[in-house]
Amino acid sequence: MTRFEATRAVCNVAGDAAIIASLGHPTYDLFAAEDRPRNFYTWGSMGLASSVGLGLALARPDVRVFVLDGDGSLLMNLGSLATIGLLRPSNLVVIVMDNEEYATTGGQPTPTAYGADLEAAARAMRVDAVTVRTVPELTGAVARRARQGSSVVVAKVTESAPTVKPPLDYVGIKERFMTAVGGR
Amino acid sequence: MTNRENPRWAAGVCEGVHAAGSRHVVYVPDNPLSHVLRAFSDRFDDVALLLATREEEAFGIAAGLYLGGKRPTVMLQSSGLGNSLNALTSLLIPYQIPVLMIVSMRGDLGEWNAAQAPMGRAVRSILEAIEIPHVTAESPETTAEAVRIAGTEAFGAQRPGACLLPRRLTTGRG
Repeated sequence: MTRFEATRAVCNVAGDAAIIASLGHPTYDLFAAEDRPRNFYTWGSMGLASSVGLGLALARPDVRVFVLDGDGSLLMNLGSLATIGLLRPSNLVVIVMDNEEYATTGGQPTPTAYGADLEAAARAMRVDAVTVRTVPELTGAVARRARQGSSVVVAKVTESAPTVKPPLDYVGIKERFMTAVGGR
Repeated sequence: MTNRENPRWAAGVCEGVHAAGSRHVVYVPDNPLSHVLRAFSDRFDDVALLLATREEEAFGIAAGLYLGGKRPTVMLQSSGLGNSLNALTSLLIPYQIPVLMIVSMRGDLGEWNAAQAPMGRAVRSILEAIEIPHVTAESPETTAEAVRIAGTEAFGAQRPGACLLPRRLTTGRG
């Protein structure tokens, strides 16, 4: 399963869910897979996608919130798992695109390449978690977990070079997103 | 709870946050802020208090709250400003996401710990360098208004804005 295939699979089950994408390749792939008003593309703040998703999920219990994170990004903010385990909104699914490398910066291996286990880390922080390796497994895991509390789905993916990027219109991204989810 | 346990300045912070329309406070605690947290719990049951593990994370959560239509406050110690800079400069400022920052000062007048001094002395310069406006709560009686002004300006201008709580206010020393 490539990251782009995994991203398309998430979009296929997203429906009206809001999707927060981590900077770099997850943001680029989400834009390429399906540019929808309920996508929030981050262009910086590495590590914070799951935190942004948590805040949105707490603010809007009526909105299903998906986060497209990376393994390197989540490792930069592992405390987020503890906070998600503490606050436990009912509508948050963090999908970690685990390609075991910092792909956006040239493919340096991350600790998950040597066995660091993000599913185990999430479980240790009282967050439901599962690791998937195929598109059908990913689709089933995400669909089952939407509206089932807070969850982490670790998707083991291979790198797929993104071909397009969303516009660098930060305020435009925000305004379109907020209008779509009713935050305006 | 009694006034002895809710000092006037701490009640003022709560009143200012509330008057600015904020009902969500994401925080990393410090000693003076414990008074604010207790005052919120005692007097404002419509304010959600959300603990974060690190200040940068708190700003990420606050950004998500704002995207969902809320007016977030982040409470932190000044030492945590260093932990927050990437969130502020690469998420909140470029996307024009406002947050009311309540900053409990270390390293200013009355500081006894040299490890707190460099950041404490640099807080205002750092905020000015990244163009975050700030006010300082000068007395218990004016704290509510200082906090309210910082929040109203932040949410109106759609950018972060800070109210600093000096040690001479929060500890009565210095």
